[in-house]
Amino acid sequence: MSITLDQVTKRYQGSPVVNDVSVDVGEGEFFVLLGPSGSGKSTLLRAIAGLTGVDHGRIALHGRDVTHISARQRGVGLVFQNYALFRHMTVGDNIEFALRVRRMKAADRLARRKELLRLVALEGMDDRLPTQLSGGQQQRVAVARALAHKPQVLLLDEPFGALDAKIREELRRTIRQVQRELNITTVLVTHDQEEAFALADRIGVMNLGRLLECGKPDELYARPATRFVATFLGAANLLLARQTAQGIRFGATPVNIRALEKIDGTREHEVVAVLRPEEIELAPTRDNLRVNYMGLGVVEEMVFTGALERLRVRLTNGAAEAQITPPGDAAASTAMLEVTRTQHEQRTFPVTLGQSVALGVRRIHVLPTPLSSYTVCATQKAAAERLASHPFLTELASRMKTRIATRTEPALAEGTDAETPISGVAVVTPGVDTAKQIEWLLRNGAAEVLVLPEQLLPPQRVLIHWANDAARRPTLAVAASLLRHVSAEAVYVGILPEGASDTQRPVGMRTLLDARSEAQAMHGLEMRTELRFGSAAEELRRQLNDAPDQMLILGISDLADLHQNFAALFSTPPPFALMVVYRPAGSSGANER
Amino acid sequence: MSSFRQPSILPGFGLTLGFSVFFLCALVLIPLAALVMKTATMGWDDFLNVLFDPRVLASFRLSFGASLLAATLNGIFGFVIAWTLVRYDFPGRKLIDALIDMPFALPTAVSGIALTAVFAENGWIGEHLAPFGIKVAYTWIGVVVALTLIGLPFVVRSIQPALVEVQRDLEDAAETLGAGRFTIFRRIILPTVTPALLTGFTMAFARGVGEYGSVIFIAGNLPMKTEIAPLLIVIKLEQFDYVGAAAIGFLMLVISFVMLLSINLLQTWGRRRHVAAGR
Repeated sequence: MSITLDQVTKRYQGSPVVNDVSVDVGEGEFFVLLGPSGSGKSTLLRAIAGLTGVDHGRIALHGRDVTHISARQRGVGLVFQNYALFRHMTVGDNIEFALRVRRMKAADRLARRKELLRLVALEGMDDRLPTQLSGGQQQRVAVARALAHKPQVLLLDEPFGALDAKIREELRRTIRQVQRELNITTVLVTHDQEEAFALADRIGVMNLGRLLECGKPDELYARPATRFVATFLGAANLLLARQTAQGIRFGATPVNIRALEKIDGTREHEVVAVLRPEEIELAPTRDNLRVNYMGLGVVEEMVFTGALERLRVRLTNGAAEAQITPPGDAAASTAMLEVTRTQHEQRTFPVTLGQSVALGVRRIHVLPTPLSSYTVCATQKAAAERLASHPFLTELASRMKTRIATRTEPALAEGTDAETPISGVAVVTPGVDTAKQIEWLLRNGAAEVLVLPEQLLPPQRVLIHWANDAARRPTLAVAASLLRHVSAEAVYVGILPEGASDTQRPVGMRTLLDARSEAQAMHGLEMRTELRFGSAAEELRRQLNDAPDQMLILGISDLADLHQNFAALFSTPPPFALMVVYRPAGSSGANER
Repeated sequence: MSSFRQPSILPGFGLTLGFSVFFLCALVLIPLAALVMKTATMGWDDFLNVLFDPRVLASFRLSFGASLLAATLNGIFGFVIAWTLVRYDFPGRKLIDALIDMPFALPTAVSGIALTAVFAENGWIGEHLAPFGIKVAYTWIGVVVALTLIGLPFVVRSIQPALVEVQRDLEDAAETLGAGRFTIFRRIILPTVTPALLTGFTMAFARGVGEYGSVIFIAGNLPMKTEIAPLLIVIKLEQFDYVGAAAIGFLMLVISFVMLLSINLLQTWGRRRHVAAGR
């Protein structure tokens, strides 16, 4: 491996800007770190270059651990967004800088300089000053300069940011060419997905300091695992759907299409479906559709962009009940679909504004995320609405691009059942009978329950614990899904009974290690582990009391656990956020990631 | 006239040029011309007598020597102060930043008296220096100290904006290319700041040559030893020797002009050399 990052964490004033990032970049690979501004991608690049120290983790270049080696000795080439050329030196002197520092002979320097200038197509520009060059030329000089000392890896920090579109494309081609010719391992940081697609062998998408997903561009686009990647890489319509053994259902409308992924048929449940705008077909009526019908709609907006036509279609039936989340606008309650059509499609069926159309879908991708939506439950309407505007919850929902529904359940925690099953994550405030409420919600269809105290800051640390092995997988899946949207540190707490025998201890340790590697391998979630001794509930409560701003994710497979093993957690209303994950023993978790 | 005119969105080239010429004439050229004319009323012999008067020569040596030394000191320490203010954020940074300008605002006599009080043999600092045989007040060292104080803001204020220009990225780039700290300073930071440093140096030097108020208190004004040229002019004036005063003034004018011009030429030459290297 050319570059190996192992659990790299960088904190700034206490909060992590790069959070437990592990990735391997192969020899000669062009790796693109993609993310919005503030996602920590530039900090990570600077950490690889050695310009920023890391608080935790290890960085290795070609097998050599360089975590504590200065930028000077790392042998990397770095290119900056603003070129960072030495303006008092000529192009030639700029390129030769690294060689002069290394006291290379003048003749050798000259030869290397000529070679590099040829590489970036700037022959004969040796004696110009940087100020006499255009932006694109300056960046070429910067690339040549960064390559002068034959670095092991080339790092590029938004190198096209300051250039206009045409130059950008030209320089992009040059960089790709140079990279191929030298076969140098390259990491490029950008916020532009088009750039990432054009250059990358592999893309790593970052958000909130975490590396969410890595993969080949086409795979990431077709099969994203997270809402963030689905919407950040190109446009995506996110819909809440029910997944059944027969297929996917939007509200009452079954879409006779099987998701590409293996379907968990044992349990009908809410899922998040991704519909790419180009996978939606329009036709005058349902019968004219060549693909699976999903509903009727009215064309509300049309934009012609040259090659493609972009439409926004308001759904009037069918999937309209599926509570669609329109791209980039989670708050809108209307079911609006974004559709793009090619010239050919436009000619086959021209549409006008306000026209009624039938919609069909060619392909649906179901996100393997267990947290689909939130349903706030309370005995009174006012209380439910108050909780629905909880800052942490609204923040979470907006980051997950999902919705918060409210439900008034007078029977909450009483004997009678709810009229219709609760879908998604049920949210309640803590009270004296929290344990009972959780049990009631879990009995009434909720797969997870989030207990949210009114006064709560976003957690800095999330503790994870499961009651028994059966609850392990779903709990990890929920934790991974949640932690993609919360900038916090994850800690799995394993607890052995007090006075555990010597034979039990190694087993406990192995459980920790297994949990960690499963989290990493299946969910890309980096978490720390801790082993404790004592009663599980009391140990957890003690840790949660230690510091404010913590959260607990608790996995159970038996509702009785709430009143037995974990009763101590609920003896007083919990002042921390608590997510209870419940999967009855024996249910399959094939779809959970 | 119109051939000099640069196309500009703002009208009024004639008006502004008129004002510039008028102001320069009224405030600079005419008084200086009067000085030259006054000097011209004396004969060559008288003029040379004044010029080669040992007392005058000694005062010139002190004035220009001390100014040069003070400007050099300011060049070094002013750079350090500007660096600290630009590069680091620490409690009280704003306060220190404001303090830099104090010598501008303070009447020079006040700073002179304050310096004398502190550096006299029984002053706070002077009493600690006395045991080592170092006397500051009433010696040429005192003159340098006073000139350093009043010249400091010129250097700091000219370097500050130039240092802000040296982006961190430049140093980061140099570091990844394998340069050590000293190389980064010498090859990257210093060349970028040098023009501003020279400007600050020139201004501090010019101010030092003309300084009067703060120096006369701390210098002790011993003829041949700690007497500065401006003081000699005042003495001549008090003796109603206007022509003698004018002659010394004229000489200062010529020397200052030559020195400032040469520094400016040096700077232009430095810039040229870059551009020439760029051809």
